[in-house]
Amino acid sequence: MAVSTNVNAPKPASGLGAELGRRFRSNIQTYTIILALVAIWILFAVLTNGAFFSAQNVSNLFRQMTVTSFLAIGMVFVIVTGNIDLSVGKLAGFVSVVAAYFQANVWYQMIPDQPLLAAILSIIIGVGVGVLFGVLQGYIIAYLNVPAFIVTLGGMFVLNGLILLVTQGKTIPANQPYFSEIAQGYLPPLAGWIIAGIVVAFLFWNMFRSRRSRARHGFELPNLALELVTTIFFSLLVIGYVYWVNQYRGIQTPVLLLAITAIIMAYVSNNTRFGRYAYAIGGNREAARLSGINIRRSIFLIFILMGLLSGIAGIVLASYVGYGTTAAGQGYELDAIASAILGGTSTLGGVGTVFGALIGSLIMSSLTTGLQMLNVAPAWQYLVKGGVLVLAVYADVYFKRNR
Amino acid sequence: MSDDIILDIQNVTKRFPGVTALDNVSIQIRRGEIHGLCGENGAGKSTLMKILSGVYPFGTYEGSIIYEGKELNLGVGAIRQARDEGIAIVYQELTLVPHMTVGENVYLGKEPVERGTIDWSKLYADTRDILAKYRLEVTPQAIVRHLGVGKMQMVEIAKALSENAKILILDEPTSALTESEINKLMEILENLRSHGVTCIYITHKLDEFFRITDSVTILRDGKTVTTQPTRQLTQEKLVSYMVGREMKERFPRSQRRPGEVMFEVTDLQAVDPDETSRKVLDGVSFNLRRGEILGIAGLMGSGRTELVTTIFGEYGKITGGTIKLEGRELSITGARDAMHKGISLVPEDRKGQGLVLMQSILKNISLANLDQFSGFMRIDGDAELVAATRQAKALAVKAPNLEARVESLSGGNQQKVVIAKWLLSNPKILIMDDPTRGIDVGAKYEIYKLMNDLAERGVSIIMISSELEEVLGMSDRVMVMHEGRSTRTLDIAEANQERIMALATGIADELVPA
Repeated sequence: MAVSTNVNAPKPASGLGAELGRRFRSNIQTYTIILALVAIWILFAVLTNGAFFSAQNVSNLFRQMTVTSFLAIGMVFVIVTGNIDLSVGKLAGFVSVVAAYFQANVWYQMIPDQPLLAAILSIIIGVGVGVLFGVLQGYIIAYLNVPAFIVTLGGMFVLNGLILLVTQGKTIPANQPYFSEIAQGYLPPLAGWIIAGIVVAFLFWNMFRSRRSRARHGFELPNLALELVTTIFFSLLVIGYVYWVNQYRGIQTPVLLLAITAIIMAYVSNNTRFGRYAYAIGGNREAARLSGINIRRSIFLIFILMGLLSGIAGIVLASYVGYGTTAAGQGYELDAIASAILGGTSTLGGVGTVFGALIGSLIMSSLTTGLQMLNVAPAWQYLVKGGVLVLAVYADVYFKRNR
Repeated sequence: MSDDIILDIQNVTKRFPGVTALDNVSIQIRRGEIHGLCGENGAGKSTLMKILSGVYPFGTYEGSIIYEGKELNLGVGAIRQARDEGIAIVYQELTLVPHMTVGENVYLGKEPVERGTIDWSKLYADTRDILAKYRLEVTPQAIVRHLGVGKMQMVEIAKALSENAKILILDEPTSALTESEINKLMEILENLRSHGVTCIYITHKLDEFFRITDSVTILRDGKTVTTQPTRQLTQEKLVSYMVGREMKERFPRSQRRPGEVMFEVTDLQAVDPDETSRKVLDGVSFNLRRGEILGIAGLMGSGRTELVTTIFGEYGKITGGTIKLEGRELSITGARDAMHKGISLVPEDRKGQGLVLMQSILKNISLANLDQFSGFMRIDGDAELVAATRQAKALAVKAPNLEARVESLSGGNQQKVVIAKWLLSNPKILIMDDPTRGIDVGAKYEIYKLMNDLAERGVSIIMISSELEEVLGMSDRVMVMHEGRSTRTLDIAEANQERIMALATGIADELVPA
């Protein structure tokens, strides 16, 4: 889609290599973070004599990243608009104890022999609580003009109190059948292969559809070889992942949930007005306002979305741990913020991707798992994570300056 | 006052890509005088001040500046150094920390220290002495936030003097002051002169040159026109020096016949929404015909931008008057509403208000009109791309592709993206606030051609411009504003630079019989 009328524009070099090089330079941030992830994996694989890449460990690694990943996805939207949400960890924690409370105390008496219905009701209530809290915080931030930092800091305290009220300081079990499947279940291998097949088919279909559409509108087509290589690469990634986790117990239910959520949210970020407005508001609030964007409403909706995702994270958390505790969700907000930022979300707003946040989250959980496997004391785990976060952002600043 | 030259600016030339901001400028400033600097917006005054204050360091310009007998050699990042040398600027936008006291502000960054802690008594005593010496009536312990603009200016001056400034540059010091505050400032300046402080005084209000300055240098298009003792000048002479140039063939002229009246503003009054006691519009009336380009002229602070943003529903709180579009009275609630009613605004500040710099050309063009391409949820990416490509082609945006970030484009191309964005909604009324500011001649010409095309197709255009040539070259009629009021609307045949400048500087009565 060249619209160039500039005779002095440098003639782009052709060929796959040159195209790859160009793409690398324009997306240096994404590639840097992926390279960092690969480097961390290789390091751990060597240090653990390959145990890091065992099917069981890979399966657990991805399962462990799910709770904070849901939060990190929402956090991308929040930070992109130039806001912050410090309450998400405690909100997920609160949702988890509420779900546990209903599982353990309420349904047990109301509908004693219907574990499936009980699980569904728990999910609805949990997610509902998340959304409601999002509505409350979003309203205060967007319409009453209280800074998000303050509102969500207050929200964190409030939720901490609510958690103590619900649990009465005790641990509530949430390990009932069906409910535990949410975060602990696996798909049978065949189902895994069917999903992989669908995803691969979609990748190719989407590639050709977009080429056809571009050709129809008379736009210049991107290099076919490069597009094919990219599509094949992602297909192999999906097939390889399914093959590997099938060696253990199959695709993990929460990972599937996360993947679906991530795909939807990535689509929303780029292909809906809601998503575009979020980036415009964070990129230049004044330009967004003069473009007729309702900034209050957008920010209100962003916090409701954050509440919804916190609700989902809370349900997965309750199911994953198997009980609701007073410490549920403690510190998750910081992991979520770190993941988003590692993944290239700018704290100044306007920039960030869902995909990046997932990679960031994967780095965080790879560090945790790898360091645990090496029997590194928790104190050192924190030191390493903190160092990696600052180093990664410095690398980004450095590359941008020297591009 | 002696003939001792404190600052000798010799043949200074400063180029930017595509623009020569200063072209062989020479000015001599004598010790102890108040030297006025006069010129239209864009004549090169602020570039010159930025060189003197070290924003553009030594070596980035040609020519030489002899200060106190030595070449002024300011290194990179030398704003501090300029102050140390004794050159201080009191900026238009005040640069004080509002929550601190007067004393803290005056000594900010150079607090007197006694054994590692700040010596507060000395700080306030010294502040008091400076304020007393120059008869600045401010309390050292007052919180700056609670002071009026006039007093804040005194604090700025005290701050500059506390650094032993030898040359004090005042950049439009009176633009936000009331009449009595201005009188007070004039007294202060006279007192400074009696203490031997040299001042460079920049203003748009011509009468002030006659009240306070000893000599005046006039700049035009980056060149020095003349330097003369003030007593040899008159306002008429000043105006003719400011604008006295030949019109070059820089404006494409199109044959067009404006049609019926499309848009009409009658006695519009509005106040600052954050400070409702401050009037920003005090009686503006004009009309706009179909396919007409109406120029709005006026100096900075005359309310031009406030007028158009108020019409667009995004700034002033309307307290009186009416706005009519196609005969029907309008009340516009905001940008979206204005767009739905057929009004677009290309805002004044391209980077600050027009564009999301880190985003692509595509996303910038479609931002204000995403509802054209989307149903309930999904944006039709193909339709968006097709429409944005059509716009980019129509405006000849020069870029490798639409995925390029707008921050990588030149100013002229960025402006084309902004215009493309605002044309996407097919407006009936297109308001352009200083559409060619800071862009090169070639891109300007393309924008002028585009404006003519639009007008021929029946779009009515309101163009604010700081360049008189542009206003005269492009408009069918010119409305001149002064202090929030529309003074007169001139037909292009009866408009000339002197008349517009006279109306804009508020000396209408002497030059233009009403």
